[in-house]
Amino acid sequence: MACGLALLLVVFPLLDIVWVITVNGLSAFSVKLFTTNTTGASGGLRNAIEGTALITLFAMLIAVPMGIGAGIHLSEYGKNKTGSAIRFLSDVLTGTPSIVLGYFSYIIFIISFGWGFSLAAAAITIAILIVPYLARITELALEQVPNTMREAAYALGATDPTVVFKVILPAASSGVITGALLALAISVGETAPLIYTAGWSNYTWDGRFTHSPVGYLTYVIWTFIDQPDAQSHALAYAAAFLVMLVVLAINIGVRLTVRRTKFV
Amino acid sequence: MNILNKLRRTGVAALAIASLAGVTGTAKAQTVSVPLIESGSSLLYPLFNDWVAAYSADHPGADITTTSTGSGAGIAQAIKGLINIGASDAYVSDSLKAQNPSVLSIPLAISSQAVNYNLPGVKNLNLSGPILAGIYEGKITKWNDPAIAAANPSVTLPGHVIIPIHRLDGSGDTFIFTQYLAASDAGWASTLKYGTSVSWPAISGEIGAKGNSGMLSAAAANPYSVAYIGISYADKVASSGLGTAALLNKAGNYVLPTQDTITAAAESVADSTPADERISMIFTDAPNAYPIVNYEYAVVNSSQPASAIAEAVRAFLSWAITEGNAPSFMTKVHFLPLPATVVALSQAQIAKIQ
Amino acid sequence: MKIRPFRLSVFALSLLIPTALCAVVLFLVIYSGQAIMFNGLHFLTDVNWNLGDMYDDPVTVHGVSVPGGAEYGILVFIVGTLVSSGLAILIAVPLSIGAAIFLSEAVPGKIRPVLSMLVELIAVVPSVVFGLWGIAVLVPFIGHHLSPTGNGYGLLASSIVLALMITPIIASTLLDALLQVPKENRESAFALGATHFEVVSKAMMPMVRATLVGGIVLALGRALGETMAVLMVSGGGINILPTSLFSPISTIASFVAGQLDSAEADPTNMSVRALSEVALVLFLITLAVNASAKLLASGALNVRKRQS
Repeated sequence: MACGLALLLVVFPLLDIVWVITVNGLSAFSVKLFTTNTTGASGGLRNAIEGTALITLFAMLIAVPMGIGAGIHLSEYGKNKTGSAIRFLSDVLTGTPSIVLGYFSYIIFIISFGWGFSLAAAAITIAILIVPYLARITELALEQVPNTMREAAYALGATDPTVVFKVILPAASSGVITGALLALAISVGETAPLIYTAGWSNYTWDGRFTHSPVGYLTYVIWTFIDQPDAQSHALAYAAAFLVMLVVLAINIGVRLTVRRTKFV
Repeated sequence: MNILNKLRRTGVAALAIASLAGVTGTAKAQTVSVPLIESGSSLLYPLFNDWVAAYSADHPGADITTTSTGSGAGIAQAIKGLINIGASDAYVSDSLKAQNPSVLSIPLAISSQAVNYNLPGVKNLNLSGPILAGIYEGKITKWNDPAIAAANPSVTLPGHVIIPIHRLDGSGDTFIFTQYLAASDAGWASTLKYGTSVSWPAISGEIGAKGNSGMLSAAAANPYSVAYIGISYADKVASSGLGTAALLNKAGNYVLPTQDTITAAAESVADSTPADERISMIFTDAPNAYPIVNYEYAVVNSSQPASAIAEAVRAFLSWAITEGNAPSFMTKVHFLPLPATVVALSQAQIAKIQ
Repeated sequence: MKIRPFRLSVFALSLLIPTALCAVVLFLVIYSGQAIMFNGLHFLTDVNWNLGDMYDDPVTVHGVSVPGGAEYGILVFIVGTLVSSGLAILIAVPLSIGAAIFLSEAVPGKIRPVLSMLVELIAVVPSVVFGLWGIAVLVPFIGHHLSPTGNGYGLLASSIVLALMITPIIASTLLDALLQVPKENRESAFALGATHFEVVSKAMMPMVRATLVGGIVLALGRALGETMAVLMVSGGGINILPTSLFSPISTIASFVAGQLDSAEADPTNMSVRALSEVALVLFLITLAVNASAKLLASGALNVRKRQS
């Protein structure tokens, strides 16, 4: 009985969060939300939606090759001391609070490199954040490919890249894609590493990677809720709803399709 | 990497098209779209939002992003070149000015700050610098403290604990509020001094809030609290049911922030404003002057990275101190326009932006 | 030895991860160097964080230029971090144990995946959304019903939000371990006439204790570094140690996020360096906690192998 109550207490806040955000978020929905930019603390969210998409896109473009490459090394050739060390340091990076990464990027990219608040700084920071996830999930996925497949491929005279790209990666593709999707969900929901790297812009992207700040959805959530007027709160809830929708949809989808493997 | 290149190219192409569109539309004041970034004071934030909306309606291609971060950030980011216009309730300090001689502090309008309280049943309240200093130092902890009672003989004060609310972020509001305390209370002047952030003494139950909006929300949510809130939030303060305190000025009168009392303070300082316009209007001598009045500054680096940016900044700031000072903008936020002498000084500073 | 370009290139990619980590650590150490010298050990033991008088000329102390009166003590934030995370663990552990036992023992196998997925989903809700919910629902609730001052921001709100965020980590770790307890152990206990309660508490829990502790420490690591949700509901207390559940607090992480704006205005830049030292302390604390979680987890594995 008590245990059932505990489960209820655990699950209830999630349902309440989803309920509160959905009700308030949906009531703020309109076509304008997607077609107009933010003006001050009102207007639409087009710039923020685009900004979040761009930051996520470029972070993934940087992180996916790095993370999958590192995962290949760890799974295929990294069963030694060096591999363990990389694995340990990768876990340390995963455990590093994201605000520490944001602070690092602010001093390095924004101030020292003189990039200013920018897409490049934001995307690189998020990439650093998600690379270790991608690497470890790729490693786990590749490890589940039976060794007989590797041995068969090598016996046929296949080279390392052929074995990895033609045999192992295809066999483990669902796991790798899962990892990439989870990393994508993380980058959509992050705030702390962006506060001092992305800045904020009321306009859509002008094509510059540096010296041009970008908006993002989580900024709207945490700053506009502090504004006193109702329309700012409505925007904050609408942004929270969008972010939550993406994150939950990805996570539910992933869990429903890859039931057997447990990554997180 | 191909995708990256392609994206970069389409981005560049979009930019080229955008600037072409700008060129074909040269009939208006702006030739090329130059995105500007304004950041800083949350007190100026509502006004900047109105200004930018009106300005970009008249000036297509004038893209100005406004953000509310706090005056401290506005000053610092303008100096570092992260933003074009830093909005600040405080002028640039002497030491920062010495380090960065090219950074200008340009008044845009006259503002003031209200001390607001959430006291159920109390409609009129007199407060003074020493009383507020006592509250924020933790020496005056109850609303019926003898010092508060002495300033309010006709008011029944509750015996409830006072909840002082202060700003967490680097803030020009903190700057002018603590300047008032330092100017009127010797103890505060020698220990805590003034600045965009000060080391708030530890008081049980105190609240730290982010931005004027955070101050307002916290004050509205917490009965028996006291907060300092920029005058641009006065309408929202009134509709939240908060009271506005009459403050003791240098001449010994309790005055509310009204157009007359704010004008009295501004006029007493207008003629003595120096060429770099960094001057305090806190606690002036005029008998009817409200004690917490200040210039709202644009903190701008006079050497901008490109002449097109400099031109866009000049155009916008000149507009702000002339057409932007029209009553249609000012009354909504309870600001006052700059006196003519100060407009001339600001124009001279704006002309230096290259 | 044969050169294998493919192996070398994926090896190089995998080295980027430690490189990034080392860059972050090295930068934090180098950048905060001056602040470490200036602050000494007082940094960790002083209650007051004071950026100093930025409107006066900087003064020179021990050969470093700082704003007059500047002192950087982070004891308040260390205490705020440890107490809020500690309370969060106190709330989360019984909830997680209860939920995990319920899921493994009382829920039919068909519904279990759905419910355990719900629990796991809590862990993926972005922290800024937790913060928004905290501001909209939790803080007003605490303010109206619990807090004597009527102010809902503070230690309790932070701890509850943190507890919600870490419960799924502990619960799903524990659930996995419970489901892995060999059937024979359960059944032999039942055969000896033990009640269901005794089976769980005497036969199963001891077997998964090490895993549970590992999960708790892992959750602690997450709670210590949590930034946004805490920043939004903590009340941002500075210069005062928390005295009650309703005291405003700051955690190290939320303080770094909230304070850089102010620190930037320091002409001597010392406060930005001091914040870098704060970030370094946070990094070291989470490193220690996460490393012990790893050690515990590997220990737990060994125990289980020996038993089976």
